[in-house]
Amino acid sequence: MPYAQAIKEFVVEEFLPDVSPAELDADYDLLANGVIDSLGLLKVIAWIEDRYGIDTDTVELRPESFHTVAAIDAFVTRASYRRTKGA
Amino acid sequence: MEGTTIAGPPRPLVKSFVDQARRTPEATALVWRGHSVGYGALLARAERERDRMAALPAGAPAALPAVKSPGTIALILGCLLARRPLLLPSPALGADVTERLYEQAGVGHVLAPGRPPAARRSPTVDLSGNALLLTTSGSTGLPKIVPLSSTALDQFVTWAAGAFGIGPGTTVLNYAPLNFDVCLLDVWTTLARGGRVVLVDAERVTDGGRLLALVERERPEVVQSVPMFYRLLADAARAGGRTLPSVRHAVFTGDTMPVPVVAALPGLLPHARLYNVYGCTETNDSFLYELRGTPDPARPLPLGQPLPGVEALLVDAEGRVLDGPGSGELYVSTPFQSEGYLGAAAASGAFVPHPEGADDRRWFRSGDLVRRSPDGTLTLVGRTDFQVKILGVRVNPQEVEHLLLAHPDVTEAAVRAVPDPAAGHTLRAVARRRPGSRLNSLSLRGHLAQRLSRAAIPAALLITDEPLPRTATGKVDRERAGHVHFTEES
Repeated sequence: MPYAQAIKEFVVEEFLPDVSPAELDADYDLLANGVIDSLGLLKVIAWIEDRYGIDTDTVELRPESFHTVAAIDAFVTRASYRRTKGA
Repeated sequence: MEGTTIAGPPRPLVKSFVDQARRTPEATALVWRGHSVGYGALLARAERERDRMAALPAGAPAALPAVKSPGTIALILGCLLARRPLLLPSPALGADVTERLYEQAGVGHVLAPGRPPAARRSPTVDLSGNALLLTTSGSTGLPKIVPLSSTALDQFVTWAAGAFGIGPGTTVLNYAPLNFDVCLLDVWTTLARGGRVVLVDAERVTDGGRLLALVERERPEVVQSVPMFYRLLADAARAGGRTLPSVRHAVFTGDTMPVPVVAALPGLLPHARLYNVYGCTETNDSFLYELRGTPDPARPLPLGQPLPGVEALLVDAEGRVLDGPGSGELYVSTPFQSEGYLGAAAASGAFVPHPEGADDRRWFRSGDLVRRSPDGTLTLVGRTDFQVKILGVRVNPQEVEHLLLAHPDVTEAAVRAVPDPAAGHTLRAVARRRPGSRLNSLSLRGHLAQRLSRAAIPAALLITDEPLPRTATGKVDRERAGHVHFTEES
């Protein structure tokens, strides 16, 4: 999971101020546990676009893609791969 | 609770007190700062107070700031002897608020122990039949004035003395300030039945070590208090493994009892029956729940059974009485209730006829949202006026708070809804964890997620090791907890 550490740092800073990145398990369900709601999801997507230069208009966005750090990592990995291939 | 029924006219409270004082003048009535005041001495002081106000017009209300002391208690008894309606405001209210309360109640004279009444203005109202004018303890605005008739007090005494076995010589702890309705039990029922009231000094109410020492020394059999008192006692007793075997009945009321405190009580009070009482100043005690075994930490304590003579309804948002399972506002009608507020609040619409015209009783709209489960159990969900919408979902912050407190590692919690431009409202929660606990907000979120819809999980949830700020009455101050832990921008 190449992006997991950066994603954890972002999620913790933005949504979990009293938690350290190390405490956040990559499989912790961010949606079911109310860390990220539908508005929070927009923040996550904006961050991914900004940080990884991914144009999310060209990929399908489903909430399941963002429900854990591992899922976000997989999403970024796939999107970056596609971008590299397409470029 | 022993099965007590209210049949026939109850013995008047003050007459019972006088009888006790004549029969056993040497018996201790009050224990205050290590000194005892006997029944005979207390009656003599009360009669002097009565004589001092003999010239006041009948039925005209007087006022007395409720500073806790034997002198104040003697003066209240003097008013009861003189059938003088008495407004008992908290001594902690500001001068402006106090003056406005006097105005709304039509107070002609202000009383002080051992002094002649001070005239404020010529009395204009006749409140004959009312004994005490208590006030609600709302945190904002002017407290509402709640007149209680002598009949209501007498009926309360009859119930309370029977339910908790209060008779001659029974020692009862009084923790609350004298302006609180709970004193009907601690102080007035005890004095009417010849018991011994141990008064906790207002300056000592948050000192767990001293409270523990007081209970060990004076050995009360009946104790009634807010959860904070039990938490202070349990914390102070834990280190030395101390227990309080004198207590036979322990009543808690006024706030949600945290699970760790409930769990500590059987060890702390090995011989006590434990009760949760539901009631408010307007109706006085209405429901009683006796805890048996360890309560399920995931569920709030039930309201329990209505007291003898108490009727209750659940009324839905359309004003229909709910007969089966469901949630609705609790309407209560009790033998101990007020007939209605005095002053501007009289028009508040809190005291109403039966919503479907089914009887002639006067019902009090509690403002509490209560759920009836299929087996008939009633549980408090929160305040009807605290409901907010988050992303279109109706959420009650107090229900979230109850669930946080149900976590075994949480000792205090505050949940507050704040307006949010996008979501409508958003919840901010602070939870204090048990000392030594490694609880973090991730696992606490998991606890909530199992029991709540997603919108009700607080967007901001912080764990702290520090005590949460509390109000003067010992309840968690949600407003201040919010300010301490969240900056306005977050």
